[in-house]
Amino acid sequence: MAKKSKSSATVTAAGTQKTFWQLLWKQRVLVLMALAPVIMVIIFKYVPMYGILIAFKNYKASKGVWGSDWLDPFYKNFATFFKNVNSGQLIWNTFKVGVLSLLFTFPATLGFALLLNEVRNKWLKRTVQTISYIPHFISVVVICSMLNGFGSTEGLFNNIRSFFGLERVDMNNGSEYFLLFYIGSAVWQVVGWGSIMYLSALANVDTTLYDVANIDGANRWHKVQHIVWPTIIPTTTVLLIMNIGNVLNQDYTKILLMQNDTNRSQLDVIGTFVYQKGIVEGKFAYATAVNLFISIIGFALVFAANQITRKINPENSLW
Amino acid sequence: MALAKAQKQKMPKNKVYIGSRVFDVALAIFMVLICIVFIYPFLNVIAVSLSSNRMITTGQVTFYPKEILFDGYKLLLEGQNIFRAYGNTVIIAIATTVISLSMTSLLAYVMMIPDFVLKKPLAVFMLITMFFSGGTVPTYLLIQNLGLYDSWWALILPNAVTAYNTFLYRAYYKGIAQEIREAARIDGAGEFQILTKIYVPLSKALYATFGLFSVVTVWNSYYEALLYINNPDKQPIQMILRKIMFTSRISNMDAAQTAISNGALNQLNVQYACVIATIGPILLVYPFIQKFFEQGVQIGAVKG
Repeated sequence: MAKKSKSSATVTAAGTQKTFWQLLWKQRVLVLMALAPVIMVIIFKYVPMYGILIAFKNYKASKGVWGSDWLDPFYKNFATFFKNVNSGQLIWNTFKVGVLSLLFTFPATLGFALLLNEVRNKWLKRTVQTISYIPHFISVVVICSMLNGFGSTEGLFNNIRSFFGLERVDMNNGSEYFLLFYIGSAVWQVVGWGSIMYLSALANVDTTLYDVANIDGANRWHKVQHIVWPTIIPTTTVLLIMNIGNVLNQDYTKILLMQNDTNRSQLDVIGTFVYQKGIVEGKFAYATAVNLFISIIGFALVFAANQITRKINPENSLW
Repeated sequence: MALAKAQKQKMPKNKVYIGSRVFDVALAIFMVLICIVFIYPFLNVIAVSLSSNRMITTGQVTFYPKEILFDGYKLLLEGQNIFRAYGNTVIIAIATTVISLSMTSLLAYVMMIPDFVLKKPLAVFMLITMFFSGGTVPTYLLIQNLGLYDSWWALILPNAVTAYNTFLYRAYYKGIAQEIREAARIDGAGEFQILTKIYVPLSKALYATFGLFSVVTVWNSYYEALLYINNPDKQPIQMILRKIMFTSRISNMDAAQTAISNGALNQLNVQYACVIATIGPILLVYPFIQKFFEQGVQIGAVKG
């Protein structure tokens, strides 16, 4: 029905041969309605994009973004970053944390969804779902506070260690427990909530497929293979692309909280580095350059992942 | 009945059937274990926050308090302005939600109208913000230049209108029949009236869901406050927890500090009490609003 009204609108527009500006004047109420939100987006989304220019400038607050002088050479901040002995370590850390958490959270979520789908008791399924969503609504500060408390010598993790006869250690100092904490808590947080997407895709399966499979004598494993799996492949692909694209946008606000004086240098990723240099030390231009560098790589990743999916199966790609 | 029974007996599937039952039971046990993994940490935090120093240091507290005491909570309430932080957070959450819902509605509504000349340009305009962003530092400088540093507006305005939400609202509005809109126009209603008198009342589920999402997001965020808010009196609740947990520890709470150093109290008593104070409100309302959240993800899934 919406289609019909759309075509009738174009007909009237073409019939009276109105110019763009005449149409715009006629629709001025709509323009007025969009004005406030559009101005907000321009100020808070587009102006910062323009602000990226300072990555190439000798930024002086008094002169503003445009008025500040260009750096000579303009890529000086990037050159400084790559000459920095820690830059390799920093990029490696960013990739390592991102790839490892993807490697654990993604299959865990998929597996959890598949298992949950096999639970036949409605009440049990509902209860497990409700409970498994809770961690999603817990803030990073709370998560990190809990990890910090559990990792302290008298905390839960050490109680478990001593239960198995291991000695108590302070897990918050040094960096050896960082990845375990970071990824473990990430899995704990996303598994339940992430499964919703898969389960809602599975809710749309034509139930007669199951009946037919039963008549053919299919067991449950056969049904998973031939009905469940093909149903969620599109969802899985789209989610995987988005996750790969976001592999570098790891939750650095979480890492920022997990850092302390004993492990800061080992745990730094691009996000925390940008915060440290840009906000804490006030090296605005340099931090912006580093941020821009990693955003470009991130964008290339989304693009590449999508191209690959399009080759394999065009229907599943994002664009 | 007899026929069904006979049929069942005739089926040579008994073996498969037993395997399937065993799997069901194993799965049920596994799921219960998973639930314990999700809930146990919270129980442990509550238990430790209420237990005595002796029980905590000897590692005897599991999921219920031992040698119960409330001093952690008492000192937390005395030493920190928790209630002011609650108030701050509530004000920020309400303002963010109201502004976000109204602004996004306006934009999504005009973007949904089929013959609006700026429909396509606006879609591209919003789509760009989905893939590119200025990043931490340029946004920080913008906030400073606008004079919003140390103001709650710095937390409220920047993310009020997002591309993702706009497209979801638009998809939801598209589900409302165009005929209703056209009928209202023939009756002489203006576009703004159509939005407020027809679309908004018909989108209650949308607003309930996104309103709740917005409130929870504000309640849980700390990073923006870390960047833009310096005045301790304006800090939201998460920053209070961050301070007690990670920065100066509890050193600025004199009473707590003395109690801890003479062994009457464990540091975790106060810290975990603050964790509970921070997640308490979320956990209390969670059972009642949980279905809205799921609904929200499904609104997103339909669009995707």
